[in-house]
Amino acid sequence: MAISPDRLEISRLVHRFGFGPKPGEYAALVASGLAAARNTILNPPAVDLGLQSVIDPAPTDLGPFPTPNTPAAVTFAQNMRAQNADLVAWWLDRMVLANNGLTERMTWFWHGHWATAIGKVEYALPMKIQNETLRKYALGNFNQMASAMLQDAALQYWLDGNQNQKGAPNENLARELMELFTLGVGNYSEDDVKALARALTGFSVNRSSAVTTFNPAKHDASIFSILGKSAIFDPPAAVNLLTSQDACTNFIANRLWFRFISTTTSIPDSAITSAFANRDLAATVKALATHSAMKNPINSQVKSPVEWFVSVAKALKITPSKLQNRAQVPNYLDKLAQVPFAPPNVGGWPYDEAWLNAASAQYRLAFADFLIKQGDLSPITNLTGDPFQQLADWLGIAEWSSRTKQVLRTVSGDPVRTTLIAICSPEYVVNG
Amino acid sequence: MDTISRRKFLQLTGAGAIGATAAQLSISDIAKAAVTRPLPLGTPIVVVVTLYGGNDGLNTVVPFNDPIYKSSRPDILLKDTQVLPIGEDLGLNGTMTGFKSLWDQKKLAIVRGVGYPSPDRSHFSSMAIWQSASPKAHVSSGWIGRWLDSQQHDPFQAIGLGSVLPPLLAGVKQVGSVLPLGGLVIPTGSLATDCKRLSLPSNADTPLQAAAAVSMKDLFSISSTVTPILKRPAPIPDNLPSNVGGNFGSDSSLSQQLDVVAKLVAAGSPTKVWAVSLGGFDTHADEVKAQSALLGTVSNSITRFLSQIHATNRANDVVVMVYSEFGRRIKANASHGTDHGTAGPVFLAGNRINGGFYGDEPSLTAQISGDLAVTTDFRSIYGSVIEDVLSTPVGQVISGWSTKLPLIKAV
Repeated sequence: MAISPDRLEISRLVHRFGFGPKPGEYAALVASGLAAARNTILNPPAVDLGLQSVIDPAPTDLGPFPTPNTPAAVTFAQNMRAQNADLVAWWLDRMVLANNGLTERMTWFWHGHWATAIGKVEYALPMKIQNETLRKYALGNFNQMASAMLQDAALQYWLDGNQNQKGAPNENLARELMELFTLGVGNYSEDDVKALARALTGFSVNRSSAVTTFNPAKHDASIFSILGKSAIFDPPAAVNLLTSQDACTNFIANRLWFRFISTTTSIPDSAITSAFANRDLAATVKALATHSAMKNPINSQVKSPVEWFVSVAKALKITPSKLQNRAQVPNYLDKLAQVPFAPPNVGGWPYDEAWLNAASAQYRLAFADFLIKQGDLSPITNLTGDPFQQLADWLGIAEWSSRTKQVLRTVSGDPVRTTLIAICSPEYVVNG
Repeated sequence: MDTISRRKFLQLTGAGAIGATAAQLSISDIAKAAVTRPLPLGTPIVVVVTLYGGNDGLNTVVPFNDPIYKSSRPDILLKDTQVLPIGEDLGLNGTMTGFKSLWDQKKLAIVRGVGYPSPDRSHFSSMAIWQSASPKAHVSSGWIGRWLDSQQHDPFQAIGLGSVLPPLLAGVKQVGSVLPLGGLVIPTGSLATDCKRLSLPSNADTPLQAAAAVSMKDLFSISSTVTPILKRPAPIPDNLPSNVGGNFGSDSSLSQQLDVVAKLVAAGSPTKVWAVSLGGFDTHADEVKAQSALLGTVSNSITRFLSQIHATNRANDVVVMVYSEFGRRIKANASHGTDHGTAGPVFLAGNRINGGFYGDEPSLTAQISGDLAVTTDFRSIYGSVIEDVLSTPVGQVISGWSTKLPLIKAV
């Protein structure tokens, strides 16, 4: 039996642009029709009532590292660990509890794009501030986001921007700005990297307070040639030059395509790139979400571990910070190799097949078991009518394969086993 | 998949159908066979060690007497007292005592100036080039993955330690397996029954959904055989002096990974390629201490691993290869670090290795805009590994390539 195209497309919309449905949401979206479903998913409300119960962890300035082996060092380490754990729990809560998932989903995308890891930054405060910056511009203007990220303490520290001074350039930030954040490989020369590094000199970062300061005396105000333009650049002007390039249009549009539509096919036409031409991210996301590729069965994507976890938590009505043994959540996510605020490197997380192996299958099963024990299974405890349809509607799956139906049939009447099978099935781990 | 076509599919498989899909179906059968048919003694085994971040080659194999070396990096240079001389005016970073002893035993090859034409200084592009063995065209398959494509499917054949598949193990038709530290826990009871059913193929699956099903199937085939082995103690090194000091026995993740590999090799796991890794080599700032510690870990854990293997009957089978995506700039930056550069050394170690230098040391007087010239193409090392260790014509894995180095002793 062919999968209904609308069910497939709405399943993709609700998962890829919103971390999956809450109970009842998918059936309602399908009933409302594709156009209305798009409208609902792509237009987050000004105030999301689902987020009202999420408590802002408000990390504080912990100050410099104390002398090792002192009582102060112990307290400091405890505070730092607690703030970092609260930060992760806070963001996962937001992802799960938002009534409209688009803003958090886009913030998550941008976190992977400007991938900054707490392993080096260490303090929660600068990571939190970066996260808020990404959320502020997640559906705003990309050039403004890039300008804001230039001043971002966590990013500057992560890429040694504070070590990049007049007469002593450090290329780390300049290279990644061009390669990973704005232009992509092949759209700049090595000389451009060297010149941009010098044009970005002059910042210093106070990590604990997350304050970035620009000191003109440490800025190299020579004339540089960057991407064919010769001028004296202050750092914001240099970043503006990058984000004004045509290469930036193609690069960012392709990155969005890669993460939301397909890692194996390239953008087939210019609808998405033209939507991004004026750097309007909301319009670009709409162009992606309404693209005909959303209907094409070949464009399936693997849910990353965080995406899988959040979609499960939404279905099971789980609030991550309220789980018993909530520290198990980052533990399992770590086993699955994806913890928020801890990307493996500045390139962000891997994709698709990288998440599919025997090890991840094992940890996903164990994680699922942990979550189901504390989850709300009421949507499937008294199934009447077509149980497969109701299960699929609960989880936002377009249609079960006959393979999975056969397994589900053998466990019918057992909500725990049914849920475990369903959320570990290929149909759920991979968004059709 | 409807009943008729599944039955038909199973019949085809039973009849020994070839191709990617059929091979996916037969994993558990092959895994069972693997238990009863361990890797024959004398079968060569490759351990690929990836150093992520771009290792600074000049502070690894150090031209400690070169005046340009000294003047280029006054704040991070290693003096003659901080290196272990190995001839030709070169010295190993002083923390690499294990490698020095392998060198003295002629079990360590150092290939100098390794890279590829038109070096790319992006971590990701350069690592993709190394792992795909394709400097020009973008290729999404890895070199070991393409070697896997030439073999019968067997989830044991190539295994990466960790929970994410390294790109070098992904082929066009087949992918290697991954093994997290600590091993896998096999589902039991009704969960096992459910999962096994869930891992069956369905013709409604997209390719990625099919891969998800296979990953669950692999869980059973690998975990049922590997987990008991992991519980055994690691082979005891038979030739390590007891007072080596330093980092021996450290709990660094590289030594943990290699400990697991040593156990599994000793147990006869039918695995011909292992992939392990260590990160942290992107030393833009405060390089000397960080890089020396990392190199000490690399040297000590590999030396320890080879000693463990030496205590088994596979000492002559194992070849270790160590590489990073690029070297670093000749001149230090002002943060006591180095920025991304070009060529770097590659190490190969083991009883099968013809120890010594390969490739010319890149000249510090003939710099290419502040960088080292590439004197050896990395594919000639892969050529030796593919043909002389894995016994596969190199052209099958790296299209159009034939050059090799005499790194491997004839058996």
